[in-house]
Amino acid sequence: MDHIRNFCIIAHIDHGKSTIADRLLERTGTITEREMKFNQVLDDMELEQERGITIKLHAIQMKYHAKDGKTYTLNLIDTPGHVDFSYEVSRSLAACEGAILVVDASQGVEAQTISNLYLAIDAGLEIIPVINKIDLPSAMIDTVKHQIMDLIGCREQEIILASAKMKIGVDEVLEAVVNRIPPPTGDPRAPLKALIFDSIFDGYRGSVVYIRVFEGTLKEKDKIKFFATNKIFDAEEIGILEMQRVRTGMLSAGDVGYLIAGAKDVHDTKVGDTITHAERPADAPLPGYKEAKPMVFAGLYPVNADNFTELRDSLEKLRMNDASLTFEPETSVALGFGFRAGFLGLLHMEIVQERLEREYKQELITTVPNVEYRVLTRSSNVVMVDNPALMPPLGEIESIKEPYVRAQIITPSEYIGNIMKLCTERRGLYNNTTYLDPTRADLRYELPLSEIIFDFYDKLKSTSRGYASLDYEFLEYRDSDLVKLDILLNGEPVDALSTIVHREKAYEWGKKLCARLRKLIPRQMFEVVIQAAIGSKVIARDSIAPLRKNVLAKCYGGDITRKRKLLEKQKEGKKRMKQVGRVEIPQEAFLAVLAMED
Amino acid sequence: MASLYLHIPFCEHKCIYCDFYSVESLDSMDRFLSALKQEIELYADYSIKEEFETIFFGGGTPSLLKPKTLHEILDRLSTTFTIRRDAEVTVEANPGTVDRAKLRSYREAGVNRLSFGVQSFHDDELKFLTRIHSSEQAKVSVLMAKDVGFNNVNIDLIFSLPNQTLQRWEENLRQAVELEPQHISAYSLIVEKGTPLADMVAAKLVSPLPVETEAEMYEFTMAYLRSAGFQHYEVSNYAKPGFRSRHNSNYWNHSNYLGFGPSAHSFWSATPLGDRRRWWNVRSIDGYCEKILNRQLPLAGQEVLTEEQLVEEAIMLGLRSDGIDLYRLSSEFGVDLLTAARSTIEQLTAEHLTTLNDHTLRLTDKGYLLCDEISEVMISSISLAHTSCESV
Repeated sequence: MDHIRNFCIIAHIDHGKSTIADRLLERTGTITEREMKFNQVLDDMELEQERGITIKLHAIQMKYHAKDGKTYTLNLIDTPGHVDFSYEVSRSLAACEGAILVVDASQGVEAQTISNLYLAIDAGLEIIPVINKIDLPSAMIDTVKHQIMDLIGCREQEIILASAKMKIGVDEVLEAVVNRIPPPTGDPRAPLKALIFDSIFDGYRGSVVYIRVFEGTLKEKDKIKFFATNKIFDAEEIGILEMQRVRTGMLSAGDVGYLIAGAKDVHDTKVGDTITHAERPADAPLPGYKEAKPMVFAGLYPVNADNFTELRDSLEKLRMNDASLTFEPETSVALGFGFRAGFLGLLHMEIVQERLEREYKQELITTVPNVEYRVLTRSSNVVMVDNPALMPPLGEIESIKEPYVRAQIITPSEYIGNIMKLCTERRGLYNNTTYLDPTRADLRYELPLSEIIFDFYDKLKSTSRGYASLDYEFLEYRDSDLVKLDILLNGEPVDALSTIVHREKAYEWGKKLCARLRKLIPRQMFEVVIQAAIGSKVIARDSIAPLRKNVLAKCYGGDITRKRKLLEKQKEGKKRMKQVGRVEIPQEAFLAVLAMED
Repeated sequence: MASLYLHIPFCEHKCIYCDFYSVESLDSMDRFLSALKQEIELYADYSIKEEFETIFFGGGTPSLLKPKTLHEILDRLSTTFTIRRDAEVTVEANPGTVDRAKLRSYREAGVNRLSFGVQSFHDDELKFLTRIHSSEQAKVSVLMAKDVGFNNVNIDLIFSLPNQTLQRWEENLRQAVELEPQHISAYSLIVEKGTPLADMVAAKLVSPLPVETEAEMYEFTMAYLRSAGFQHYEVSNYAKPGFRSRHNSNYWNHSNYLGFGPSAHSFWSATPLGDRRRWWNVRSIDGYCEKILNRQLPLAGQEVLTEEQLVEEAIMLGLRSDGIDLYRLSSEFGVDLLTAARSTIEQLTAEHLTTLNDHTLRLTDKGYLLCDEISEVMISSISLAHTSCESV
């Protein structure tokens, strides 16, 4: 056990976490340079590579011959870098004794540097600070050094200077892992306690669980129990994680590896859960388990109503390897049959959407995302509302609570004014500002989550020339003066366009939405009146003048076939339109809110 | 009843807006004429199947044909096919290509209807359209036609020219009506792909009129010609009672027709249960002549129409012309439109876009303005009705 080191790498997006990981794998001979050539090995999902974000975490074992002449087993546990997945980050941190903190020399400390660092400190990890990309002309090594020293209270000589790209500092990092990170502790003879820090879905084997054993020893054929679900399984296959799974038949205290236990999908094997023996169970699970709860909801509908079943099958397959995706069937007057899906956050939603479209070839209409509201009715019932269309009627509502988050924004000082303005517009409550150094501020706000899930991130970036970074965590539900804003077309409400907004913003919002819809809905044979209403009160109105002329002047012998084909094409196009009353609505209109400009 | 169409693909000058097939050189005229006569014979079989009631010489500029040539073609047609004694025989004429003697000879050869491509009575508009004649020539030609005994004359006009005003268009209509033709075709200018006009629009040398102005001109035309005693019987066609073009009407009610010459289209429905086929000739004089020399039909393409396509066409063509005959739609295709598209029809009628009299669903003036939109709605609503039946 003395020769095992379990660690992870934490960093803000694009600060070079994956490149550093690659260098470690190369230097320890786990992978050859040639194998490395085309991709960064830890990010093996196509989408992850494009976004440069590790979405699903993995683990890999390396053998390292250290300068002290001994050979160490290094388990590198990868962590996702995005705020949507902070629970998963915390679980993979819990599997380690140490963390390499990577900071980009040209960017400095950013929001996720800090949030991930705090998670690591909370988990009691030994921190190895590394400044990466020191070869860049824009590197500000001294500034970043001071930011880091202020942040973690380390000494200057503890900070490793590196350039993963230029292969500078790689040995120093490996030596620090061996010398500074403590070996795991634990008793191989104690009752079994193993932490699930990830699980993936294998089409042939079902759920494959990635575990860190803290106490005891796990062998194949053992009867095992999952604490959270109380389910009992047989340990069918056990092994360690190299470039592929390597079957070893056994894992004991301090080890990191995988387990296949015949669980059908990832819902039986939840991240953060503890595994023990059925016969000789541990008295308590490892701390920190919680259900990953969706925070953002949206309707997913097939463009063509005939594809409802296909969409359901695709969602079910996706859910097999994504325990945090939830979905329930729902019906919309405007969009027909579809699903209300729950996501950890906006990025998670985008990923699910893209995977459905790319991997499962589904054509989707996604409605505007919303949060979940807690509604207290006059009859003193509490109703959770995850679809604005299902908000109880105005007269039945006593009060509405909405989720608030604690947000942290790191920005160059010159943009503080812009950012404060943005946060105020988004109903933010200012907490405080601290300075990482004279040029960099750390702003803390409490914000309604609903205000962050539309375009807040884009606005933050554009208002700070891309320099500000954001991180947030759930705070609590709070009372807000919220109203449901309905959109009516020729008097008929379009359920899929209803939104929940703050009363003071409703008028402005309604006006903009009507104007936007006017541009997106094509002229029809009759006038289309667009109204925004709260309850029965219309607060904004716009209209689309009827079509004036649409007739081709000539249609003789040679024109008939051509004309018919045109009609057939238009008929096909019409199938893709959604209808409310007589008004035909193109798909884009349902995302109108997302694309609203000021 | 059936029709014959002959496409004469030659013009002295090709107009900027025209996308019909024609060439400006007469060099291949003789070769073409001999091929045309042979093509007619390739269809000899059709003579036993049907009696023909209309013949139409279109183009191109068929009035470039010498009377003797025209006579020969008509002879060939009547020896090959069964032609009714009272057949309507039309020649499209460019006012710049006819004189009194030619018109008289046409009449003697059996032509009984002339369709003059006048387009405008303003010389600047004619010049813009690159017509080869003047306003004066057009008037003289129409009067000459009357003079030599033609009592069934059409005047073609085009409106919504770039920069045209409603007033200028009204003058065109007035001058046309004053010439007392039996028929007027008034087309809204279409910018067809691949024409010099389309290039000019793309290069922003000219800009099409705003839709609003175009709509006003069309509304005005319908009202004006109705008050002058013309019946509006198709989107762009107006006739004095008894003088509708029988030939064009046949296109619009799915009658059989054979087309000869490059780019000509044919349609034949072998009743009662045979297939319904449309086919079209190659769009090139050389290609056409070569195939004919090899005793082959000069086809460029064909389609066998499905029942659904025929119904769609019947609805589209019916709406464009004199209304959808609901009785015929039900007896020929088993489609009960009133049931299948009831709410659509009710809405259209409530909005004064259509009227329903006896068993004919017709467009109002307001409806004609939206004819294509209404066709699409009607076709979509019956196909949706189909789908929901299938899924039950």
